Amino acid sequence: MPFNTLPNSDYIGRHNELTNRYEKICQAGIGMTRSIMLAGMRGIGKTEFLKQLFGLLFWKQDRVAPFYYSVHDALLSVEAFSRTYLVQFLCQRLAFEKKEQALFSYEGMSLRDVSLLAEDRGASWVKTIIREYERAADPISALRVALEAPHQSILKTGIPVAILLDEFHRLKELSLGAAPDHRLVSLFDDPITRNKAPYIITGNTNEILEMPVAGLLEHVALKPLEYADALSLAQSLLERQQSKGAIPPLLVRRLGGNPLYLTCLCTKAGVTAQNTDRDFWNAYCEELIEGRLSGFWTSVFKNSFSNFSSRKIALSLCYKTYHSREPLSLEQIAESFEGTTAELETIVHGLYGAGFIEGAFGVMRPVEDLVLRDVIEALFQKEILAQPAHDLQQEFLDRLLPQKSDMTRFDLVLPMAKEAELVAAQCLDQIGKNLGFDQDTIGQLQIAVIESCINAIEHSGGAERKIYLSVIVEENRMEIGIESSGREFVVQQTGEPFGDREGMKTPGRGWGIKLMKRVADEVRFEKTARGMKTVLIKTFNKAMSGKKEEFKNRE
Amino acid sequence: MNNFSISSRSAQDVAVITPRGYINDMGAIRLEKTSEQFLGRGIRKLVVNFADVQFINTIGISIFTGIVQKTREYDSLLCFTNLKKIHCDIFDMVGLIKHVKVFSNEEEAITFLNGRG
Repeated sequence: MPFNTLPNSDYIGRHNELTNRYEKICQAGIGMTRSIMLAGMRGIGKTEFLKQLFGLLFWKQDRVAPFYYSVHDALLSVEAFSRTYLVQFLCQRLAFEKKEQALFSYEGMSLRDVSLLAEDRGASWVKTIIREYERAADPISALRVALEAPHQSILKTGIPVAILLDEFHRLKELSLGAAPDHRLVSLFDDPITRNKAPYIITGNTNEILEMPVAGLLEHVALKPLEYADALSLAQSLLERQQSKGAIPPLLVRRLGGNPLYLTCLCTKAGVTAQNTDRDFWNAYCEELIEGRLSGFWTSVFKNSFSNFSSRKIALSLCYKTYHSREPLSLEQIAESFEGTTAELETIVHGLYGAGFIEGAFGVMRPVEDLVLRDVIEALFQKEILAQPAHDLQQEFLDRLLPQKSDMTRFDLVLPMAKEAELVAAQCLDQIGKNLGFDQDTIGQLQIAVIESCINAIEHSGGAERKIYLSVIVEENRMEIGIESSGREFVVQQTGEPFGDREGMKTPGRGWGIKLMKRVADEVRFEKTARGMKTVLIKTFNKAMSGKKEEFKNRE
Repeated sequence: MNNFSISSRSAQDVAVITPRGYINDMGAIRLEKTSEQFLGRGIRKLVVNFADVQFINTIGISIFTGIVQKTREYDSLLCFTNLKKIHCDIFDMVGLIKHVKVFSNEEEAITFLNGRG
């Protein structure tokens, strides 16, 4: 084999897709097999799928010759690419004849070596292609010969070829001379549409979708693993490390059936012989903050944004997209970030291309990947807000560990309309009644919420004229969050409101915050992606909890 | 949206003002104007009945300080009645409570005021 693949027993959950694709390719001889683009999120297993397919085609049948090529970043000049492409194709094609695995060792092999090999095996068609390649008038003509080689082999031998191309998106960097010329990849247009030579192209899905060649391909999605398969894969990975324990179902679901994520987590958790649920969540949090999983996405980020300033904006922008309840247009993004529209568009395009956000038509939204969301959150907290890793770890653990069953959460979005604060206050009153809390205390909190909403309205500087109210009740503790796109209105170190000295002498200035602090047990002001969030925490006394219990029992 | 209303009446030298609903800046200004009207007419004893006041915000309270100052300028007496505990706390927090007389209901306030010459 030209590469390492997973043992068949460890390749879990893809049997049907693999067999289906294998059978389709085996019918290439009748010329009806279409070229496809294998789409899917990062880590979903597209590369492994190609490798497994190659293995099947190579060993299990002799009707269709497989050719696997992974585009390498270091081989993107037209000359280097065409030569390696041709050498590898010819070697793999010759290897297929007699299933000679030894021929996969083509590192350092020259076209002359391949020519001698072909002569030894009586494959004169190989020599013809090499001759044509060497006589090509220019690098582009030579590239055409290399790309047409599979088709030529079909004409000479009658055996169809399945071309499995990995990391195809890198070909947009193909260059003739110093600068990349994205038009060069259009030389694939003809070969891809040839009969009896179906292509399976994969790589970074979003980037391939931006290439014109995508229009010639049928798009086939490699879906996340089903829950049961994800569980089996996790068990298999843990058993291999002699680790006991089973990943909590909620965590398996959070990993979204992504084999890369499962592998990262199980490798981390597998270090411990016996894992409890908490150990698995802890391992996940570690992976998010400083593990291989974090390293993987951080590396994608750094590769996509090479300079520090654009990297910082990109991360903040990505974070904002993930925390926005609505998709963000470029105009909305431009209102919230510094930089010219062109600069921001380049950054947005980079985030889209790298798979951090969706939005092929300029309206940006998060990808449906909870792990990536967590990674971005952790990266933002760590790199932009400089939060210590330990604090972050604890914060994630608190947030992610399954909540107690008696936790109740209410979320409300208010427009910044006249007296909208009353709506928030009335809602709080009803929540208090529903949960059986002391009405005097709720009355105090209502006043505090009114003050907080007024602050949010007064200091709102963003485009989003909304207040996000959340009320979380757990046992006898109530946490109220009032968030808006406004600017900071307190000094973080002191928790006291900003304001010039003269302004502070005006009656009423600063009373709202003073009142909140008087009413709530704890008041926090948090800088968030959206803007500012005021958090009011109140613990009700035991007598009131009893009342709450009584209320619940009555239900 | 109309979350504030106000009514008032006067008998002899006592005026009773009854605000209702949400006292924010606009509500407090209306309250201030009403009290100024009574003071302008020579009425020197004012009662503000908070029984139907649902919420008071701090901007509204800041305007209350103006009302208190005005009554002091007119050498008048200002009484608050039917204050909810939270409202009483807020007035206390901002230091207003020491400048007014607080009664549990209107009748007590009027009895008190009638006893003052």
